[in-house]
Order: sequence, then structure tokens, then C-alpha cells
Amino acid sequence: MKRKVVSILLSAAMTAVLLAGCGGSSASTETAAPAAEPAPAAEAAPAEEAAPAEEAAPAEEAAPAEEAAPAEEAAPAAGGSDVSGKTFAIVVKSAGNPYFKKAIEGFTEVIEGNGGTVVVKEPSAATVDAQITEIQSLISQGVDSISVAANDENALQATLEEAMAAGIKVNCFDSKVNADSRLTFCNQAGTTEVGQALIDAVLDLSGGEGQYAILSATSQATNQNAWIEAMKSIQEGDAKYSKLELVEVAYGDDEPQKSTDQAQALLSKYPDLKVICAPTTVGIAAAAKVLQDQKSSVKLTGLGLPSEMAEYIGNDDAHSCPYMFLWNPSDLAKLAAYSSIALVNGEIKGEVGDTFTAGDMGEYTLTDAGDGGSEIILGPPFQFNPDNIAEWKDVY
Amino acid sequence: MAGKSGRTIKAEQKLTAKQLLFTWEGALVVLFIAVNIFNMSISQSYTLSNVLREMPKYLAEIFMLFPMAYILVLGDIDISVGSIVCLTGTVTCYISNAGAPFPVVILGCLLTGLLCGMLNGFITTSFPELPSMITTLGTQIIFRGIAEISLGGGGSVSYINTKQIMPLSTKLGKLVPVIILVVIVVAVIYTVVLQCTTFGRSLYAIGSNKVSAYYAGVDVQRCRFIAYSLMGLMAGMCGLFLTAYTYGANTTTGQGFEMEVIAMCVFGGIASTGGKGTLIGGITAGLIITLLRIALGQANVNSQMILVVVGALLIIAVLIPGIKGRIDDMKKLRSAA
Amino acid sequence: MKEKSFIKMITGSREALLFFILIVMGILITILNPTFFSPVNIGQIFRNNALTMIMALGMLCVMLTAGIDISITSTLAFAGMTIGMLTKYNIVNSTLLLFLIAMVIGLLCGLLNGLIIAKGKVAPIICTMGFMYIWRGMAYVVGNSQFASGEDVREFAEFGKDGTIGPYIILIACYAVFFVMLKWTKFGRKIYAVGSNPEAAMISGINVDNTLVSVYTIMGLLAGLAGALSVSIYASAQPNMQYGREMDVIAACVIGGVSMSGGRGSVAGTFLGALIISIIAKALPLVNVPSIAQNTVKGVIILVVVIFNVITRRMVDKQNLERREM
Repeated sequence: MKRKVVSILLSAAMTAVLLAGCGGSSASTETAAPAAEPAPAAEAAPAEEAAPAEEAAPAEEAAPAEEAAPAEEAAPAAGGSDVSGKTFAIVVKSAGNPYFKKAIEGFTEVIEGNGGTVVVKEPSAATVDAQITEIQSLISQGVDSISVAANDENALQATLEEAMAAGIKVNCFDSKVNADSRLTFCNQAGTTEVGQALIDAVLDLSGGEGQYAILSATSQATNQNAWIEAMKSIQEGDAKYSKLELVEVAYGDDEPQKSTDQAQALLSKYPDLKVICAPTTVGIAAAAKVLQDQKSSVKLTGLGLPSEMAEYIGNDDAHSCPYMFLWNPSDLAKLAAYSSIALVNGEIKGEVGDTFTAGDMGEYTLTDAGDGGSEIILGPPFQFNPDNIAEWKDVY
Repeated sequence: MAGKSGRTIKAEQKLTAKQLLFTWEGALVVLFIAVNIFNMSISQSYTLSNVLREMPKYLAEIFMLFPMAYILVLGDIDISVGSIVCLTGTVTCYISNAGAPFPVVILGCLLTGLLCGMLNGFITTSFPELPSMITTLGTQIIFRGIAEISLGGGGSVSYINTKQIMPLSTKLGKLVPVIILVVIVVAVIYTVVLQCTTFGRSLYAIGSNKVSAYYAGVDVQRCRFIAYSLMGLMAGMCGLFLTAYTYGANTTTGQGFEMEVIAMCVFGGIASTGGKGTLIGGITAGLIITLLRIALGQANVNSQMILVVVGALLIIAVLIPGIKGRIDDMKKLRSAA
Repeated sequence: MKEKSFIKMITGSREALLFFILIVMGILITILNPTFFSPVNIGQIFRNNALTMIMALGMLCVMLTAGIDISITSTLAFAGMTIGMLTKYNIVNSTLLLFLIAMVIGLLCGLLNGLIIAKGKVAPIICTMGFMYIWRGMAYVVGNSQFASGEDVREFAEFGKDGTIGPYIILIACYAVFFVMLKWTKFGRKIYAVGSNPEAAMISGINVDNTLVSVYTIMGLLAGLAGALSVSIYASAQPNMQYGREMDVIAACVIGGVSMSGGRGSVAGTFLGALIISIIAKALPLVNVPSIAQNTVKGVIILVVVIFNVITRRMVDKQNLERREM
């Protein structure tokens, strides 16, 4: 009896693991769900070395991925800096987010275009605990470079220092880690520039005066807090914003339901509210829906994904958001990829003043990030308005 | 090894239960070896030094496995532990940043955890009618809430003087992390207490039948209070070591730990209905899950699939005794007929 | 004398007590923010919390059998993600069909739960914990790092748009069906019987296993329905949707007087419990509780209400029999 129990248990466990293995590799091979969009070369994806799963795969939807694989060769071999045999890892904030999906595609396109291998790590939850686990695993694998979008500015320090001590080049993108834990930071846009763009949008939409509110992500979101601070200080520093009044910063925790509750609460608490500014993709979509459904006269701006916001962008009263901003997550990740390559090849050391060529994106210079480290700024935030939203909504 | 379970009051029950328990731990040890072989086959990076390096973060969670086993043996549950980790981590950072010496930092951390645990214990024992799940659900929200308030708008805090907490994350001989030794010591203490002391046996008695334990002279509420307090203390321990690895705490620290710890216990044969299981099983199961996650991570299996694997393992693990029970029942019925 | 009869009234029935708490809360909130009781706000309370309220019904049935289901929001995410993707890629566009698909997915998830719990004799919390991981993982796999939102679900979201009555109808229909089912049908009484004393139920000829399976299946069905509603109301499907909200549902039931040891609880109580939870969520931002303190306040309120329940019950017990305590 004993033996039976053991053998059942063992075989069951093994089957489970094996199955999971297949599922896992097939999922990360980015076979888009049915009717995938016309795949650019990036779609070719990390030709995962998840070896053990490969034979058992056919059962899953892995099959179509196989055909997509050859596209790898087609990727632009720009930049010229060959990194074949090197492994580049990208660690995003959490799984299941289209913003980072685009980032991963961009990253993969550049690295594989230059002959490198990509390891994608998408933590199951947007916590530093999960990211530490993933980075530790990357150190074990001995990758050559790690690009991380951090969930907390300081918490990854111990782990990333360990990685750098092991000879791994660490840079970050989207959300930075502190200067001690990175070589450089690929910033999507300068903090002041984002703050300036947002406060100007608020000024424009409110007609120069009146109440506005901010609907942010979580209370500890580094980026959002920095942008809000920038907005506040710009507002204090210039008399033309003096007639604007920030009534509240609400936090929707990047959950649609809580963001909806908060947006509705803002509307009923401040009847004179003129503008809501939501510098987060989940928050802006939730607020847009609330405003549009209620046919409210309150206008919305902020940072949002064009594909999610296309429905709400327009200049007439039927649409709640006249315009909003964002950068191209794919370009951001490409920049991260090029800078990783430059770091691995020793072209740059992560010091202020270093320059490198980011393939067809042109030449970039490392500037002072103001926190003791260096950063590379992608460019000013891009404005999405009724004129260009139609062409961008299918891109990302 | 697992025969020790025979010492428990459970031993008076029918023989089959004891046999099952025996085989369960035996099976776990075999599975442990099998998992290691499997791990080595899927990941070339699965070496001793790499595993030892990746272990500490998981080991911090394992601290909570021991008292959670106590609570599950009691037939209770505590889902507030993840939040206690968050709160203690936060408090520890603040104490350290205020310039307190190292021993005070450790003491403050453990004390905070203990207080949280005692609060849980106080509520559950004052209102025994309340299911422990609901009480700890309430405190789960509150503890994390307090941490959120004290963390303020920034939502995170870091050690100013990181050197101070370095001793917690150092490695002996550049290989063996300190935390492993601490875990081993704690594990031995908790195992001995559970299997060899009156208190430990009282826990089994209460878990098997609260009313009869009460009439047999066991101070039910006192035992429950102690178990919850220990739980808080160990959550504090987890918070302490975790912050040593993350150099600080934020509002998501420890999120979801409670379920992971409970899963390890249950996989180790500690029934959530109370009165069953040993810590040896729990610890082995904890190691199996940890090692499996490390290896799957190294093989770049994506993180959601790892969750699915853990979930599936859990269900399979709890299904086996149930199915076996059914088969035994059927056999008995057939032989009776 | 007067005081005593008042206590008797509010302790006499659980529902009256909850109603009393609701009124106190209502008065407090109105004092702090007079605009709270506007028709718009009330409508939003029901719309935004329709999910919690509907799933609370299923949880009621599960808890009546002394069980618990913590996999519901994962089931919700799995079902929601699936239909989100189906409509995003224009595979299925009929609102009715999407609702049905979500419900079928939920039903199958629930059925699996029920079978393992009833036939495999697994503790409900453990089994559903396993599935909590599994279905959530599946939601990510189905989504494949895509959201469905805004334009992708435009037609489907028409159903749950602010101002439409669809969600309210579903809500009312669910409550009506469950009220009748639990009170007046054979099946409903079986659930109570199984929860109060499974052995007695078995001896009196009730198929306990089948009842358990159907209870979890119903729970899954409602979770699937809630998944579809969630996508429709928020016009968004994300794999992490409603993460952790199962605890709200359980808290709603417990506040509503549903016993976790089975056999006790009512649809009316559950409704009031869910309403209290919903009002807390709605009112906290309105009465100027700072964002970072909202969770703490919510936790404290839940604990206080639950403990208040226990104390009043004790008072009743003391009055009824002051002889022996255990």
C-alpha cells in the first residue's frame, strides 16, 4: 500500500510539473491568443531554451509558435554590435500587462536582431518579493545583463548589487532603482517634462482656472509620486497656474473597481470640479468610462495606452478625454536593450557623458539623473489626440 | 523518523490513520529526493551554491511554517501573517533609522510581531464563537493598514544604515547563509515542543476534539492564545530577515505569504481540520515546494505556471488520503457483506 | 424596561440587528457628507458592488454546508479573461452568448471544486486554495499579456454601462431566485440539512455528496456570471481583476450572520451584510477618510460589526439560559 501511495504521488507530481513546463514555455513563447495581430519580427519571441518541455508541447497551443520561429532571422540587424552567445534578461513589473508586453517585444527584437538570447521574467505579482526571486534565479543562470522595471526604488539593492558583483550588467527602465543598484536608467521622459505636460494640459482643459483632482495608482508608486510632485512644484513656481486648485490626490490602486469608486467619489464630492488628471493607465481608463457614462462635463487627461483609450478620446462632449500622453513602451525597451548591449560590450560604463548608438534610434548620451546615477532619456512624452489616435490604437 | 507521530494522542485512533500518517511522511522524503533529481535534470544552474544563494528569501517564509502548523493542528487558521510581516518590517526600519543599536532593532521587531500575534490571540480567545478566519481577516486588513498609514504617501521605507542589518544576510564561509542556521535551530525547538511536551500534545487534543480536551483539563483558550502569539513572533522573525534582504519594507511586503505557508503545511500532511500531522512532514513539504520553485524559476518556466504547479500539487496531495479513505471504506464494506 | 425591549428587538433577529447597524452607519455618513443619500450614489453602490453581492449568494450556500470557497475571484478572472479575449478578437460578439460562456466556464470550475471536495473528502479551504492558484494562473495564460478594454469590449460593455438597468436586473433576479430556492424548495432545505448535521441528513435519505457538488457548482456559476458582469461594468478584463476580493465576499456573509460552521444564515442577512460592505467601500472616500487610512478603517469596521454580533448573541443566550456555559 505504501509503495502504491508513493508511486501515485510521484507520477502525479511529475505529470503536473511536466504539463506545467509545456504550458509555461508555450505561454512565454508569446503565441498570441487566437487571431494574433499581424506579427512583426518581434513576435518571433525568445526562442526559449525551455528544453524539457519542447517535445511534450503539441497538446498546448504551442504549435503555431513553431512556424513563427524562423522570423527571428528577419529582425533588423541594426547597430552592428554583435552579441551572439550572450544572454540578456528583462524583468518587468508584473505579468499580464499589455504595456510590458510591448516592452518585451521591443527588447526581444533588438537583442535577437543582434544575435543575443533573451530571457523574459514576468513576476506573478507586482511586488519586490517576486522580483527578487526572479533576479536571484537569473544570477544562478549566469546571464550577461539584466534590465529591470522596478516595483520599489530601494528594495532591490541587495539583490542587484549581488548581480553586479557576479559580473552582470544591470540597467533599469520605466521605473528606476537607486543609483547604487544600477549602472544606468533608461528614462521614458524627464520627470519635469511629464509634470509640465500634465499641468499644462490641466491648465488648458480647465480654461485657465478652477478645481482639478488627480487620480493616481497606488500611494507608493514611485513614478506617479514623482510626476505629481513635479506638477505641484511647477504650479507653485509659476503665477499662470495660480488660479488652479488641486483639491485631492485619490488612489485607485490600479484596480478598475477601486479607480471607478474613487472617480465617482471625486465627482460627487466636488461639484465644481473641472479636470481630472490620471497619470496611470488603469486609472485613466476607469475615469474615462465614469465620465463618459455619466455624460459629465468634467474633462480628463493623463497618461494612458492608446489602445485602451481610443474609445474615450475626442473633442466633443460625447468623449471624456480630449488628449493624453504616453511614450512608446516598445521604443523604451529597445533603448534599454541597446544600452544593455553597449554595457555588455564595454562601450559604456554607465557614467555621465558616455555616448552610444542605439541602432536606428540614433545616438544617445548618458546624463545626470539627479540621484547620483546616470540616465538616458528617451524623449518628451507623446501627445495622443483625436487626430492621431486612430493610427496609434492598433500599435500599442 | 516519522514514527514519532505515534506519540501523539492520535495514536489511540484506528490503526489505518496511523499507517497513513506514516506513509505520508515517508512518501514526502522519497518525493524530496525525486524532486531534486528532477530539478537537476531541468536546470543546469541547479547547483548547491546557487540553491543556497536563492534559498534565504524562501527560508524567511519557512519561519512562519512552524507556528502555522501549531495553529492548523488546533483546527484554527491565521491569514493575517503576511500583514504582520509587512508591519514588523516597517517598524524595524523605523527603529533602525531612529539610530537604535542592533539588539534593540531585533527586539523591537520581534516584540511588534509578538504584540500583533497577541492581539489575534486575545480576540480569538475572548470570542471563541468567532471563526479564526474572520478574526484574522479583519486583523489582516488592519495590520497592513497600519503599515500603510505609517509608511505615508511614499509607501516604502529603507534602512539608512544598511551595515547594521548586514549580519542577518551574511554567509558563513561565503556559502551558507546565516538564516539557514537560525531556521534549523527554530525548527528543532518547534518540533520538539510539538511532539514531546504537554503543550504540544494539548494542541493535538484540542484539534481532535475541543470539548473533550476541555473536560480533560486542557486550558483550551490559553493554548490557543500561546499559539497565536508564537505565530506573531515568527512573523516578526520573517519580517526581520526579509527586510535584511530587501533593505526595507513597502506596502506589498509579505503579500500572499499566508496562503503559501498554509499550502506548505497542508502539503506536509497537516490537516486544516485539526489534530493531524507533524512538523517533519511540514518542513519536508516546505523544502520540496521551495526547491521546485527555484528550479522551475531557473528553467524560466513563467511565474503563473509555477503558481499552477503549486496549486495542482496541493490538490493532488490532499486528494490522495481522501481517495485512499474511500477505497478502504469500500473494501471494508465489501468484506462485511 | 424600554431599553430591554429595544435590545430584545434588535437581538431578536439577526436581520433586525443588521438593519439597525445599517441605519446607524447611514446616519453617521449623512452627517459627515449630506450628499451621500442621492439616488445616483445609491445606484452606484449597487452597480459597483453587484459582483460582491451576487457572489455572496453562492458563498451563502457554500457556507451553509460548512464549507468555504476562496477560489471565486480566480474563477471570476478566468471566466472574465476568456470572454474578454473572445470579444477582443471578434470571435464571439453576442452579449448573451458571452454571458453564457462565462457562466459555463464558472460552472465547470465550480463542478471540479465540488467533485474534489465531496468525492475526494478534501477540506474545502484547501481544495479551493489550490484552485485559487490554478484559475488565476489560467487567467494569465488565457490573457497572454493582453488586456481587453475600452474599444475591445465596446458592445459588451453597453450592457453594464452607467445608467442601464442590466446589472440591477441580474442582481434582483439572483436574489429572488435564491430567496425562493433556499426558503421553499426541497433543494434549499437539503442544503440547510446537510450543513446542520451531515450524518443526520445522510440517514434521512439526502445524498450529501450530490448536494455538496451542486452547491460548489452554483458558486462557480455565480462567479462566472460575476466575471462577465465585471467585464461589462468596468469595460475591462485584466488577469488580476478582483484579486483578493474573495475576502470581501466572505466578510459580507459573516457580517450577514452566516455561520462558518454551517446550517445558519439567510438570503436577507447576506444581502444586508453585502450592503454594509458595499456602503463602507463607497462611503470612505466620500467622508474624507484619507486614502492611506481607508483599509485600516475598513478592517476595524468589519471586526467591530462581527464582534458586536457575537456580543449581542451572548446577551440573548444569557437571557435565555443562565444555567450552564461552555
